[in-house]
Amino acid sequence: MRFFNFHLMPYPSLPEDYDGPAWVTCPNELFDPEVGQKVYNRYLDELVYSDELGFDGVCVNEHHQNAYGLMPSPNLMAAILARQTKNVKIAVIGNALPLYNPPTRVAEEFAMIDNISGGRLIAGFVVGGGPEYYSFSINPAFAREKFAEAHDIIIKAWTEPGPQEYIGKHYKLRFLNTWPRPVQKPHPEVWIPGAGSIETMEFVAKHHYGYMGIPYFHMDVFERTFGMFRDACEREGYEYDPIQAGWLTPIYVAETDAEAREQYEKHFWYFVRRLLPGINVSPPGYTSLRSIQGILKGIGTFAINLKTWDEVMEGHYVAIGSPSTVLEMLEADLERLGTGNLLGLFQLGTLPHDLTMRSLSLFAKEVMPKLRERFPDGKRMLRASGGVA
Amino acid sequence: MADITLDLFETEVGKVQLRRGGSGDPLVYLHSAAGEGEGLTFLNELAEHYSVYAPIFPGFNESEGIEQIDDMEDVVFYLLDLLDRLALDAPNVVGLSLGGWMAAELATRYPDRLSSLVLINPAGLYIEGEPIKDIFGRSPAEMAKDLFVDQAHPVAQMMNQMDRAMSDAGSLKDIPFELIAPQLKSMAAAARIGWNPYLHNPKLRRRLQRIKVPTLIVRAESDTLIPAAHTRAYADEIPGAELVEVANAAHMVVMEHPAELAAIIQKFVTTPSASRTSG
Repeated sequence: MRFFNFHLMPYPSLPEDYDGPAWVTCPNELFDPEVGQKVYNRYLDELVYSDELGFDGVCVNEHHQNAYGLMPSPNLMAAILARQTKNVKIAVIGNALPLYNPPTRVAEEFAMIDNISGGRLIAGFVVGGGPEYYSFSINPAFAREKFAEAHDIIIKAWTEPGPQEYIGKHYKLRFLNTWPRPVQKPHPEVWIPGAGSIETMEFVAKHHYGYMGIPYFHMDVFERTFGMFRDACEREGYEYDPIQAGWLTPIYVAETDAEAREQYEKHFWYFVRRLLPGINVSPPGYTSLRSIQGILKGIGTFAINLKTWDEVMEGHYVAIGSPSTVLEMLEADLERLGTGNLLGLFQLGTLPHDLTMRSLSLFAKEVMPKLRERFPDGKRMLRASGGVA
Repeated sequence: MADITLDLFETEVGKVQLRRGGSGDPLVYLHSAAGEGEGLTFLNELAEHYSVYAPIFPGFNESEGIEQIDDMEDVVFYLLDLLDRLALDAPNVVGLSLGGWMAAELATRYPDRLSSLVLINPAGLYIEGEPIKDIFGRSPAEMAKDLFVDQAHPVAQMMNQMDRAMSDAGSLKDIPFELIAPQLKSMAAAARIGWNPYLHNPKLRRRLQRIKVPTLIVRAESDTLIPAAHTRAYADEIPGAELVEVANAAHMVVMEHPAELAAIIQKFVTTPSASRTSG
């Protein structure tokens, strides 16, 4: 099992009287640079701290024109982390490939981060969230085609000697010859996040990459999603390796269960009620009909619909409580899902710095070692049947 | 009213649904981004006077081939191929909204392939300060207000029902997928052509003077989706074009006033061009 601290870098100060979406049309006048300069540095400290605590990696991601996550350029964050951390993998999950033109830029910047960090980059490629297609006016109907071409360009740039030519439908590059080249050979580990779209899973399975399940759904939906991913690997003719799958979930650890809820709940609701609205727009042509049909089955469990704390706990939307409670929850969930990477969102919504740091520390000292023991590297985690109930 | 039949018709990009009916001079109807055709009595009204051809564009409903169409250039070549295969040398061409834009693009490039042109609430132009309202991200209830004057129209009612279901994600999964799928397909196909630039071609306006066939621009008085400035611009730029306004009608005037609209078209298309005021 590998453990990652995933940061969204949310904007924590949306005014009380604003009840609109946090995405696309959320007025940028609401962004206060006084808040911004504090939280960027504070959030980076929280990621650097997880390096000191012995996490395997840190994760940053890309979103545009929103209050949910303040990282239009995750590569800037990764570059800072490459210098400020020593051991952790730096997972950028990911760069929204269709938003880069030409996508050569991603090959270059990722290679820079891999060089500066001494080969610690995990390269994430994403299609980009639905809102991004509105925010950047990029045609969603060509999202998958562009993603596939951009991916091919990057891998070609990293693995084949240049200069070479790439002539695709969307990108025509007469001289593909990126400097620098990445440190890791043949190229950095590739992760691709997905929200349950079959096309994404098939793509990941085909290339033997890592599939990261996007959070904020009921545990039953994750179980179905990772089951579908395992099936996709089987259809490619191989048995899925747990290291290929990552589960992303909010985690909060305090001294006792009661204290944990008391300290955490309001910050969680800020996230759900203030930062999620608007994330779930699906631009036309962005997802295939067969994927939409599948995704609709679980859509009712998307966290935005949560009303009560009981629902939160019942669906395991957050692993929360004393160290022993969190351990128990995560053991059960990881066994159920069979993923070899645990991506924890330790800071969420308005959760303040001191509570985030203490939760990270409690997790690293009292939960992580026991989970490492329970799920050692390389050991298959699924029950003997190879499937889940 | 004359009967309309539906079958599949082979084109260069694949099989497309084609509605046909009536007799007389040929008239091609190009639908809007809503993909209308099913139960559209406007076609039956037209079929009283014309041989009506109403193809469903690739990507809409059951029509194939959208993956071969990336932009308006491809649309025009698709239409040329369709006209050739239907052996229509120069039909009357009527288009609504997205279909009006397609018809205008065809007419600027191949004016000899039309006898007359009727553009109903056409998209296709960008006019500063007069934007076409968004069709790709707004709720069905908001859209219904732009599309229909009468919110009791069955289609408006259906859109409002859909809206109520969508506002409660829990119940979204209970809506039969067959009801959602056509809408998803229509919007995906429209997005390929009209996402960016949004439902217009920056070069179209200055090409409109190339249209030499008799042209009628129809403006639905209460169309709040496409501002009046757009129909006015079409009428100003196309030599000799006439502009008529239909009262008490919104964007989907073909659904709300099928008989009245068909009569307006029939009056225009049968009038010899010499007797037109500015023909």
